[in-house]
Parts: sequence; C-alpha cells; structure tokens
Amino acid sequence: MISWIAPLQPLLLGIVLLWSARLKLLSPHAAAAAGRSALAKLVGDTRALPAYRLVGAGEAALALVLLAPPALPAEALAAAALSLGFTGYLAYARVAAPDSSCGCLSATRTPVRWRSFARTGALLAASMLALPAAGSWFDVLRGRPLPAAALLLAETALLVVLSPELDRHWLDRLRQLKVQVTRPLPAGGFDVPLDSTVEQLHRSPVWRETAALLTSDLREHWDDDDWRILVFTARHHGQEVAAVYAVPRLRYQPAAVRVVLVDEPTGQVLLTLESPPDSPEPDWVLPSPAAAAA
Amino acid sequence: MTENLDRRRLLTNAVVGSAALAGATALGSLAPEAAFAAPGEQAVEPGAPDPNFAEGRITGISAGMLFVTGSDLALWRIRITGGTSIWKLRPTTFDQVAVGDGLYARGLRLPDGTLAADSVWVNIVNVHAHIAAIGRNLLHLDHKGKRIVGHLVPGTSAARYNNTPAVSDMSMLRVGKHVQVIGAWVPDTNEVEIATVYAAA
Repeated sequence: MISWIAPLQPLLLGIVLLWSARLKLLSPHAAAAAGRSALAKLVGDTRALPAYRLVGAGEAALALVLLAPPALPAEALAAAALSLGFTGYLAYARVAAPDSSCGCLSATRTPVRWRSFARTGALLAASMLALPAAGSWFDVLRGRPLPAAALLLAETALLVVLSPELDRHWLDRLRQLKVQVTRPLPAGGFDVPLDSTVEQLHRSPVWRETAALLTSDLREHWDDDDWRILVFTARHHGQEVAAVYAVPRLRYQPAAVRVVLVDEPTGQVLLTLESPPDSPEPDWVLPSPAAAAA
Repeated sequence: MTENLDRRRLLTNAVVGSAALAGATALGSLAPEAAFAAPGEQAVEPGAPDPNFAEGRITGISAGMLFVTGSDLALWRIRITGGTSIWKLRPTTFDQVAVGDGLYARGLRLPDGTLAADSVWVNIVNVHAHIAAIGRNLLHLDHKGKRIVGHLVPGTSAARYNNTPAVSDMSMLRVGKHVQVIGAWVPDTNEVEIATVYAAA
C-alpha cells in the first residue's frame, strides 16, 4: 500500500510549493503581500520583500528537487523541515501580529486561523509519508493511473478546503447557491420602511425651511391612513415645541409634506407650514388676475 | 396608553386635519429670528472635547437620569426629558434603555454638570464588512477577519441598494459582497440587530 502512496507525495508537495513560490517570485502583488504579512514585523518593513522573495526561491528550489527523480529521503526531510518552519512562522504571526495576512498561497488578505495551521500540518504529514519513497512518482502514475489520480485529487481537495485564500472560488459560490435555493432572507412586502419615509422628509421643501429649528433626532412615529406622522423636538422663539411632520406614506411626493409646531403641554398650534402645491407649469404660465379682469 | 393615543390623535389632527390650508404659511411666522432665537452654538476650541456630547456605557438608571461611564472613564449624568429622542434600533422610549447599553448623546451641558440630552443613540454601530454567509434572517459578516452576526428584524430592518430609497426587500444581498450596516449592538456579544444595510445590487 505505502509502496505506491509514498512516491506520489513529492509530486503533491512539489506542486503546492511551486504554486506558493509563484506568488512570491512572479506575482505583481508580491510587494503588497509581503508588506501585509508578519514578515514585515519579523524582519522590518524594508527587508520584508527580499525575505519574502528568498522564501519563494527556497520553495521553488525544493519543489524542483522534489519533482525531479530520484526520490531521496533527504528531500522529504527538507520538506518536513520547511513545513515545521512555516508552522513556527504562523505561530509567530498569530501571537506577534494577529492582524497580519498569511501571505501563503495568495495575495488576498487572509488572517492566520486554524485552517492555515491545519494546512501546514497536512503538508508535514505528506512530507513524512514521502520518507519511505522508493521509486519515482512518474512510474506510479504510469503503473496505477486511477488510484494515483484519485489519491492526488483527494489530497488536493483537502488542501483547497484548508486554504482560506481560495474560499471565494468555491465556498462563496456554494453559499450563494444555497441562498438561491433556500431564499432565507425576506423578499419584502409592500410596507414602507421608516428610513424611506425619513428620506422623503429630508427631500421636502418644508424640511429645508424648518430643519434648522430641530434640536432632536426622530422622537416618535405612527401611521395614520395615507400619512406617516414623524415627531421631532424643535426650538421656536426660544420655546421647546414638538415639530409634527406628516409625510405621504405610500406615495413619493415630497412637496406634500407638511408640518405643525405644537406646544405640547397646552396643545396650542404655533405654526403650520406646507409647500405650495406642485404644478407642472411654471408660475408665469398661470393667468394673472389682472389680465383676467381686463 | 389611552392618554398617549389621545395625544397622537391631537397631533395627527393638528397636522393633517386642517386640510384646507390656504397658502404656504397659514399660521405663525418663520422669520429667521425664529430659527436663530435659540442660544447660539458655543464655540468649541479645535481639538478640545465637545462639552455637549457624551459617549459610554450605562452603569445606572434612575428617574429620568442615565449614569454613563465614558471610554475615557469620564462619568456622565445624562438627563432625559420629554423632548429627548431615544434611538435603540428604532425610535423608542426611555424604558427600553438598559444598564450595560452603550450610547452616544448630544445635548446641552447644564451648570450642575449634567447633560440635558436632545438626542440619545443607544448601542448604535456603523460597520463596513463583507457578507461571509447568509442564514435565515441572519447575515454573517466578516469584519477585518472577525465574525459579526447581523440579525434582520422583520418590520424594522431595511436595505438601501445603490443609494435608492430604503426597501424591506433583503433578497438582493449576496454572499461575498461588501455592505455597510447601521445597527444596534447586542451588548457584550459580536451580534448586531440590523437597522439599515447599504449594499450594491
């Protein structure tokens, strides 16, 4: 059993390391990824990018050695040592720079969480599995193509699941699909949210004239047939009064908004205000009384 | 309760009952001096704390008064009057405010050191986040790598898509998209009740 599993591990490790090195050496986002990673804290901002590239070069070199025959136990030991080193780095990042990004497989900002540790653990396990490898992965792939491909696919799937960087490619899609199927959010009835009414109030001519009087935020509101009543506190001639606005509830007609200022203890109305009726025609089109008389 | 209903009927009649208003201003005057008769804004030195603003956690409540410890450990006494607006997920009343709630308050500092509040916003939070997952009336938000659970409150929560007027339809929210949430924090948890969610659609 182990005789065909072990030689496949260098292939897996080599591909993962090449992928990781690609970001660090070739990606245009490498500088940004390095700056966001805990390396900036570990070796200083100016040395973060060279250190990042150095890690990438190490990964690429080890990947090429792992992929090239023959399979030597020393290569597996080197991969295990690298995984251990990553674990130490992740632990350092978690403790010293918890806000930093992993910078592992993608430039996407990914804080270090348990999945990153599990992924390095999986790589460590693969390195240990590779230790007794006797032959080349190429021979195994040729000799047992189906089981070998299945095993590699399963291992790759495990690594993808353990990579938070790749979530947006599969996990977000799955969750979007689930939302489309289960529709967990209310699609909304015809009731008008309070926010919508307040916005209509803010766009009304009456509001422009009276907003400067208000001292409080929205105090109270209730519905009355076609109207939604909004109550604020206002200051009018040095007196604290209630500013009672009536806003159309089911139509959008800011010009219809009206207000009264009421002295609440006495119930006395101090001011009423509504804007002139909306007319599609400008004032000068309306017949003037003088012209009509002549 | 009936007293409150009577009051509401009175105010409703005052504003919509007099339907046959003749002109623009039928009663009273709105001269500029009416607006500026209020005591002028006290000038605040640049960088100095605004004496008419308070924030903190409520440590005690007594008749009409909130005792608040600020984040800088300043102790505040905040007086709630009949003219004070109180927001806690929605415009609400004084009896809904609880010890342990956080608040922002704006008002007028009185000579005895109390703040006579004009407006109080209880537990209000403003969060920019990504939607990580969506459950039944739930938004799991990713806020700088930390998880926040947003509860949609039917009848209260509203969504604004592309800055158009708010609607109660939440179905255009998408996993992975950026949103801004105004809501009421549930004290000492990572949960918020959502008042308004701003999103692109």
